[in-house]
Amino acid sequence: MNLTTSHLIALLPLLIVGTTVIVVMLGVAWRRHHVASATVTVIGLNLALLSLLAVLNVTPLEVTPLIVVDKYAVLYMALILVASLACSTLAHAYLEGLDDQREEFYMLLLCATMGGLLLVSSQHLASLFIGLELLSVPIYGMAAYTYRDRTSLEAGIKYMVLSAMASAFLLFGMALLYAEAGTLSFSGLSARMSGGELSSAWTLMGVGMMVIGLGFKLSLAPFHLWTPDVYEGAPAPVSAFLATVSKIAVFAVLLRFFMTAPATGDGWLHTVIAIIAFLSMLVGNLLALTQNNLKRLLGYSSIAHLGYLLTVIVASDGLAIETAGIYLITYVATTLGAFGVVTLVSSPYQGPDAGQLYHYRGLFWRRPYLTAVLTLMMLSLAGIPLTAGFIGKFYALAIGVESSLWWLVAGIVIGSALGLYYYLRVMVTLYLHEPGESRRDATANWGQRSGGVMVLLLALAVLVIGIYPQPIISLVRSATLITAG
Amino acid sequence: MIVEQVAQHWAITLFVLAVFGLCAFMIGAASLLGGRAWGHKKDTPYESGIVPAGDAHQRFSVKFYLVAMLFVIFDVEALYLFAWAVSVRESGWAGFVEASIFIIVLLVGLVYLNRIGALTWAPRKRIKRETEKT
Amino acid sequence: MNLLFLIAVFPLLGALALAFFRRMPVNLAALVGVGSMGLAALTTAWVDIAFLTGDQTPFVQTLWTWVAVGTFTEDFALYLDGLTVTMISVVVGVGFLIHLFASWYMREDLKEQTGYLYTRFFCYMNLFVFSMLLLVLGDNLLLIYLGWEGVGLCSYLLIGYYYRVPANAWAAFKAFIITRVGDVFLAIGMFILFATFHTLDVQEILSRAPDMWQRGDLMVELAALMLLGGAVGKSAQLPLQTWLADAMAGPTPVSALIHAATMVTAGVYLIARTHTIFELAPFTLGLVGIIGAITLLVAGFAALAQTDIKRVLAYSTMSQIAYMFLALGVGAWDAAIFHLMIHAFFKALLFLASGSVIIACHHEQNIFKMGGLSRTLKLPYACFVVGGAALAALPLVTAGFYSKDEILWLAFANGHTVLWVAGLFGAFMTSLYTFRMIFIVFHGKENTHAHPARGIAHHLPLIVLLVLSTFVGALIHPPLGNVLPTEDLVEGSTMQYVLEVLSAIVAIVGVGIAAGLFLGKRRLVNAAVGTPTGMRLWHFFHNAWGFDWLYDKVFVKPYLGLAWLHRVDWVNALVNLVPGLARVLHWGLATTQNGRLRWYAGSISVGATVLLVLLVLG
Repeated sequence: MNLTTSHLIALLPLLIVGTTVIVVMLGVAWRRHHVASATVTVIGLNLALLSLLAVLNVTPLEVTPLIVVDKYAVLYMALILVASLACSTLAHAYLEGLDDQREEFYMLLLCATMGGLLLVSSQHLASLFIGLELLSVPIYGMAAYTYRDRTSLEAGIKYMVLSAMASAFLLFGMALLYAEAGTLSFSGLSARMSGGELSSAWTLMGVGMMVIGLGFKLSLAPFHLWTPDVYEGAPAPVSAFLATVSKIAVFAVLLRFFMTAPATGDGWLHTVIAIIAFLSMLVGNLLALTQNNLKRLLGYSSIAHLGYLLTVIVASDGLAIETAGIYLITYVATTLGAFGVVTLVSSPYQGPDAGQLYHYRGLFWRRPYLTAVLTLMMLSLAGIPLTAGFIGKFYALAIGVESSLWWLVAGIVIGSALGLYYYLRVMVTLYLHEPGESRRDATANWGQRSGGVMVLLLALAVLVIGIYPQPIISLVRSATLITAG
Repeated sequence: MIVEQVAQHWAITLFVLAVFGLCAFMIGAASLLGGRAWGHKKDTPYESGIVPAGDAHQRFSVKFYLVAMLFVIFDVEALYLFAWAVSVRESGWAGFVEASIFIIVLLVGLVYLNRIGALTWAPRKRIKRETEKT
Repeated sequence: MNLLFLIAVFPLLGALALAFFRRMPVNLAALVGVGSMGLAALTTAWVDIAFLTGDQTPFVQTLWTWVAVGTFTEDFALYLDGLTVTMISVVVGVGFLIHLFASWYMREDLKEQTGYLYTRFFCYMNLFVFSMLLLVLGDNLLLIYLGWEGVGLCSYLLIGYYYRVPANAWAAFKAFIITRVGDVFLAIGMFILFATFHTLDVQEILSRAPDMWQRGDLMVELAALMLLGGAVGKSAQLPLQTWLADAMAGPTPVSALIHAATMVTAGVYLIARTHTIFELAPFTLGLVGIIGAITLLVAGFAALAQTDIKRVLAYSTMSQIAYMFLALGVGAWDAAIFHLMIHAFFKALLFLASGSVIIACHHEQNIFKMGGLSRTLKLPYACFVVGGAALAALPLVTAGFYSKDEILWLAFANGHTVLWVAGLFGAFMTSLYTFRMIFIVFHGKENTHAHPARGIAHHLPLIVLLVLSTFVGALIHPPLGNVLPTEDLVEGSTMQYVLEVLSAIVAIVGVGIAAGLFLGKRRLVNAAVGTPTGMRLWHFFHNAWGFDWLYDKVFVKPYLGLAWLHRVDWVNALVNLVPGLARVLHWGLATTQNGRLRWYAGSISVGATVLLVLLVLG
């Protein structure tokens, strides 16, 4: 096929991010400079974000059989770009205090972002796999970036080994599907499946194995065990990246896969995914109950939230795409804010991050605004009204009720009740009296740093979405998915 | 069904069995009939006539792995160029541009690796220190 | 007329100002507290004149929509008619005088009872007036209920004003809880009315009630009974009367304003306001009269055996409100409201005068420790004599004579002879205990040294109220013609004159007997109380017929017993199983998080196997 200008425009975000990687690499080769690398990264990401406006003019468009750029893809690309922008500002604040080579981090981050961008626009199992690996492999390096700290190294190794295992499952599943259908494109698979000739056990096995592989990336129970360890060990900005960009991209492609190729109407696959969702909600929340480490707690919380989100895939009806969009936006804003505060508090110190709850004891008395932000994020994670989290949870409940998925609705309710306990526990800690020792603190001028500004903006966004969600809702509604391509 | 197949291919079955039987016979007869020599030197490792020295579990510099990995990476990337090479005429100028971009990216990577000293066997600092010593 | 809302706004503003600037100097606080009442009084005068000179038709001022849920809409609206005009004039007029007096009283009080905020007192007082005005002016039952609860709250706050003494706090508790019982009945009554009429608008309910219900229907009896329950609680009538005597723990101006002149008459107002419903419920209306008669006698006997000057007045208040209930019960609506107004005058006068006496005697409240004060405290003595005469309804010169005799005459004329006898006996009791108090306090041997008070804030309210308690007060006739059904009995028949003379004789005889018993050496009384039976009887009456003891046995003790049984809180223990379960599950799951890579990989494999088996088998 011939590449025309509009194809190139459709690929602009990918191309810009790719070019940025090259530029940063050349820059490092020429002379190491932390601020310059960070600046180039941020400029690149912003340009990519701007280019989405141009992309909107050419959507929907198929670029090669591998990639389709529709409004759905554009929405998630924007989300990914914003999230990685936030992560890079956080990383900038974090790496300031690191006594090592800092610039490579941005290359890894950009590569992973590219993987995410590819993933959300892929309509083919091959591009799905390439995107997934492009997303995951840099994360190994990022997780182990502060390798002098043992926990960070451990996190990197753990994620790499287990991720490789998950990829093996994924590939095996794809191979089985290819063996049965003879095609790898979503639409092709869909066509063969709807013909009824592919409801064999092999197809089911294939889809099941893909669910296992992607479920691992989404840290769904029972493939969730790695999550807290990796979140705890990895540097805080990497945990943020893992919790947001990686989850958005994988979930977006999973949703696209299930919407385009409704694997088996309402067969056992349905039930199995519902079981996974229910388990994730319960397991995530139960494990978080007495957790004393904020980063681990956020890890468990993400397990539970992905469980809530999986309701969307089980329901798979008209409201599903809208719900997924809203939920992901609110979840991403909230999680980034929470990890942002962790990063700001951890940044000025060497050694492991400030994860323990006692590090945050009495934070309110020293950094009231930062504490207010963290409080807001906790409220939002718990789904209290007037925060973004409430809107997301409301949508998840609404879709559960609409599709009569009573078990999942019960799971969401029980999970929220359990969640309230540990989120509020974090909040209480923030306002306790200051202990005499082991204090960790953000720098005094945190509010004027890029990371601080970003965190404040996120807090504002969480509040605004919570109080006036209509613009976001209409934005997400306009992001339609091209199912038949 | 297997019986039928066996019946159809009885000749091959017989041949396979005969081969296994012959092997078993040759090894078995040799071990029963042949003589055996015992001695101290016979138990030492034999390496091209040279007496081995030191432990096999040697620690190599991490540079070996690094260079080996970089070699494999560039080697594999170069493989893609073969795909282009066989279709250079069919892909035309567009293909040429794409391949050029690919090569340039690889080159940039090489430059980067060279600049950060990944390919230098001994880092410059150490060379400096050692030259100062002597 | 459009200034109507301002009457309520001024006290509210005063209360807010006093609440926000708690540390303002005493003079400024007095200015704000009394000044806001003064402005309200001026506005009230303006509204009164506008109303009386006009055609006296009801006037509704809708301020804003308060509640709008579905088809249910309630406005925040004020309603003004003859009854309301009477009530607001009493509340604001008497209220202003009491505020003025209080500014003197509390200043004197501060010298002895340190540690209490002057602003707090006036803040609550102003808030009380605001709530009382809402109660009176409210156009719908919801607004009336808001005012009803507001005055209850302020009553609670002001009874417990001297909160450093635990007994006062308990008294406030008691008043709040017992009136709350009545409030629950009132709420149920509102529910019944709302369920029937689908509105809470008072005028609409009243106009539609005769179409909706037959006379004597079960539902209308029930609704009236529930309203009566609320009224009984607020107005301290049997069986919810026990709180009023203890409520005297508050400062004396509070007793004057809340527990004599205004709040306790809210029950009378409520019944008068909803008189249409009561007229449809003959049984309950009869009950109102009977409750009045019984309370009258119970309170009268109790007042006779009190030693605390304020408690005597409290029981007399109870009995006077009982007169109003009696009047309502016999259908003498306007007589009840007339007595309400007159009672507000002379009872406020008596309370304020007693406040003056208490301050003069350094917070001595026991009448037997006073004595012979007529020589030093000339003005309070005059007040007590005039107020007491009005209370005892001495003929011709006092206001009380006109209002009370109208009640008795209407009771007799409407054929309620038993109630009339009770009322007549009550009148005798009244003059007996009133003059017992006056003779003990102001005559005989001087037991304590008293300092007469000075200042306009002290004198002016007493003098104004003193004048209003004489026949001058009786010249004011509430404009109730358009609101309440009037009696078609012929005024000035021979029978009425006979009865008036009879009751006048009864009152004078009461005074005479009191003089005989309590002037001089009180030999007879001391001898009677000295015998065991007399002693026991005295204690019985002193404790107000032992209602407290009875309620303690019947309600409080069983309640505490139940609470004791539930001290373990079984329900809570059951609920606690849920977090326990969560905890157990948590520990179970937490053991899977052991950090071992091999274990994690194993778990993925096991999970994958189970999932695939499920898929293939399913």
